Amino acid sequence: MKYFKKLTISSGILTLLIALPALLILVNILSPNTENWQHLKDTVLSEYVFNSLYIMFGVAFLTSIIGFTTAYITTMYSFTFSKFYHYALILPFAIPTYIISYVYAGMFDITGSVTMFILDLLGKENITQVYYMDIMSIEGAILVMSLVLYPYVYLISKTYLIAESASIIDASKTMGLSPFDTFVKVIIPISRPAIVAGTILAVMEAVADFGVVDYYGVPTFVTGIFRTWYGMGSVEDASKLASMLMLFVFTLIFLERFQRRNIRYRSSGKDFAPICKTPLKGKANVFAFIICFIPVFMGFILPLAQMTHWFILSYEDVIDEDFIRILLQTLSLGLGGSLLITMLGFIFVYNVRLHKNKISDNLTQIVKLGYSIPGAVVAVGVLSFFSHIDNAFNIFISGSILSIVFAYCVRFLAISINNYESGFSKIPQSYDDACKTMSISETGKLRTVIFPLIKNSALASFIVVFIEIIKELPLTMILRPFNFDTLAVYSHELVGQAQLYESSVPAMFIVILGIVSVLLLAKKMIKD
Amino acid sequence: MFKKLVLSSLVLASSVFAANEVNVYSHRHYDTDKTLFKMFEEKTGIKVNVVKAKASALIKRIASEGENSPADILITVDAGRLFQAKSQDLLQSIESDYLTKNIPANYRDVDNKWFALTKRSRVAVYKIGSGTDQELSTYEDLANPKFKGQIVVRSSNNIYNQSLLAAMIEHHGEAYALSWAKGVVANMARTPKGNDRAQVKAVANGIGKIAIANTYYIGKMVNNKDKSQREAVAKMKIFFPKFEKGGTHINVSGAGVAKYAPNKANAIKFIEFLASADAQKLFAQGNYEYPVLAGIESSPLVTSWGTFKEDNISINSLGQNNAKAVKIFDQAGWK
Repeated sequence: MKYFKKLTISSGILTLLIALPALLILVNILSPNTENWQHLKDTVLSEYVFNSLYIMFGVAFLTSIIGFTTAYITTMYSFTFSKFYHYALILPFAIPTYIISYVYAGMFDITGSVTMFILDLLGKENITQVYYMDIMSIEGAILVMSLVLYPYVYLISKTYLIAESASIIDASKTMGLSPFDTFVKVIIPISRPAIVAGTILAVMEAVADFGVVDYYGVPTFVTGIFRTWYGMGSVEDASKLASMLMLFVFTLIFLERFQRRNIRYRSSGKDFAPICKTPLKGKANVFAFIICFIPVFMGFILPLAQMTHWFILSYEDVIDEDFIRILLQTLSLGLGGSLLITMLGFIFVYNVRLHKNKISDNLTQIVKLGYSIPGAVVAVGVLSFFSHIDNAFNIFISGSILSIVFAYCVRFLAISINNYESGFSKIPQSYDDACKTMSISETGKLRTVIFPLIKNSALASFIVVFIEIIKELPLTMILRPFNFDTLAVYSHELVGQAQLYESSVPAMFIVILGIVSVLLLAKKMIKD
Repeated sequence: MFKKLVLSSLVLASSVFAANEVNVYSHRHYDTDKTLFKMFEEKTGIKVNVVKAKASALIKRIASEGENSPADILITVDAGRLFQAKSQDLLQSIESDYLTKNIPANYRDVDNKWFALTKRSRVAVYKIGSGTDQELSTYEDLANPKFKGQIVVRSSNNIYNQSLLAAMIEHHGEAYALSWAKGVVANMARTPKGNDRAQVKAVANGIGKIAIANTYYIGKMVNNKDKSQREAVAKMKIFFPKFEKGGTHINVSGAGVAKYAPNKANAIKFIEFLASADAQKLFAQGNYEYPVLAGIESSPLVTSWGTFKEDNISINSLGQNNAKAVKIFDQAGWK
């Protein structure tokens, strides 16, 4: 018992520590209006709000539809290549948003490889002679981001659907509901927590994105934050913009929890039965195949094909001793960071479940805010935070690996926590009560009941956070120690030098690492 | 896990302070720099440690680190950030006969807190045979309605655009700069997007007639693996616009010694090396920039672009007017 009191206290302190940078930025919402702020309000603020909302709704719409439809089809039915899709649908997740935006621009912008090919076929000299939609626009940004973010919804929905007992579906069939009615009246309502949880992750990543919107020329809150910071030299007003963004995301998280609370009782945990997949034939079979093919093709096969072409043309110039060093640094950072975050995530969520402590619950929600803060802003918070500690104790943490790992915690714990929350919501409270009745000790319960039931969520957390760290760019760039590079940073530098072909080499390694992780994840899911 | 992390990071941190080395915070991320740093290491035996990021972020990092900062050198790609670092008291004056003798007064700080290393000019690029060069004259004239629907230029988030407008403010004041920016926005062929090279590609492919870009990007496009860049730039030519009462807009990439530099002597040696003839030659020939040192031969490609008269305003004014420039861009609706 003592051990668990300690857990509460240490987890409380840790939560507070990790929530601190977010809180420090959040308080800026109260800071007085400056002249700069008035200027922003008079000129660009409304545009930032509009564009960010547009992106949010656009990405939410596309990711939830693509993610849930494909999750549903591949869980409930067997059709041509359905086993392949089970894995393949997660693969786009391996491609970072900024990389797919460069690749898509390289293929579809006014001089893109695909554009030129089509113009050639049509016998036209240049793009102005045909009607075209510019990929480098807000709609283009929504599209490319959705193509690699929908796996959030797919993954969480799928885990949920697999765990959800098949008996509910059978019952609805017995009661004479058609497959369509079952989908609309039963499946969607019971899956809402999963759809919303996945969509929120996708949306949080989309609104915090800098790389895509900057390259495509779309002014949003995040470009505004950097413009205010870099251009006007005002960290204060930039933080105020960031705090507004956070408040907005906080509202989202609150709404999500509100809807989840009403729904928790549904899962009784009894009658668990594996889902019996319905085989599809004829038109339905083709239809299911195509529905799943579109996102895999656009989000993975197509960009990967283009990258492979660039890779073949340039890998000899890029891969050298230095490159191997960068690869190893990236790997160790990713593995270490995601292991730590996955452990912390468990402690936080389990602690809340165990003690139903309102304060730690709210702190955990604040920790989740970190995911919505642009990486560079987190970096600023972490820098100031450690510089105080450094000066107080005369040590040097800022500019060390520790500060980067801490910043990853601030930013990515949300993912881990979301995974656990979704996992724990499937473990009925009655299990805890049963343990009590059978006087199983807390550690015993952890080992024999909780761990086996939650280990898939832990694994999912580990893998997703690993990919996120491998992909992470702005925060790593600002906080890294001397002579420390990651694949993402290197790829970004090459793009900055207009070496798009060369940049595909480190990008390709990021994607390959992502693919390996994603396949491990999918394999695990199929086994269970 | 935590303990190990703390230990290993402390070991890493302390090793930073140990040996014969120089610690560089750099915004420059070109391959030529990597070569230069290696040359310096071989020549002096001083190890070069590098962190690369955007200058504003590096400045924030130096400021946060305070007296503990391991930074010896700050390198930026524009004058504005050097000015910013100086005004936040993050740089120190250094004495170097070589630098004061060889770098022209307008390309170093009055208190010797920073020194320019290379120059870059922001120019107009047009399609050969389009006749646009007959129309082009001054920067001011780019706001002339005769160019309606012809100009493509990147977002005003970009520092090179901010510096150009800062120069316009210095020449004509804020009110004129605002009406100029509005005029240019009215002349744009499309909303700003992509980088400088994307603008050149757009004009080469029939979107707009005038691309605004930095010269060295043209050099990088000529020698690029990407066929679409080589093909685009082959159709294009550079025009050097002037300010009515000045010359072609110049920005600089430069370096300063950090206030609490733990390796000050090495830091001075490092800047002197970057301003040496060997290094300047590499900047000029490898990265197509203009050297600050007189008498350095440019690459044949850069020479082929022709010569131009440099603008006469103080480089410091680019930093002083930067925030004003950003606000004017907002007011003018230059995305």
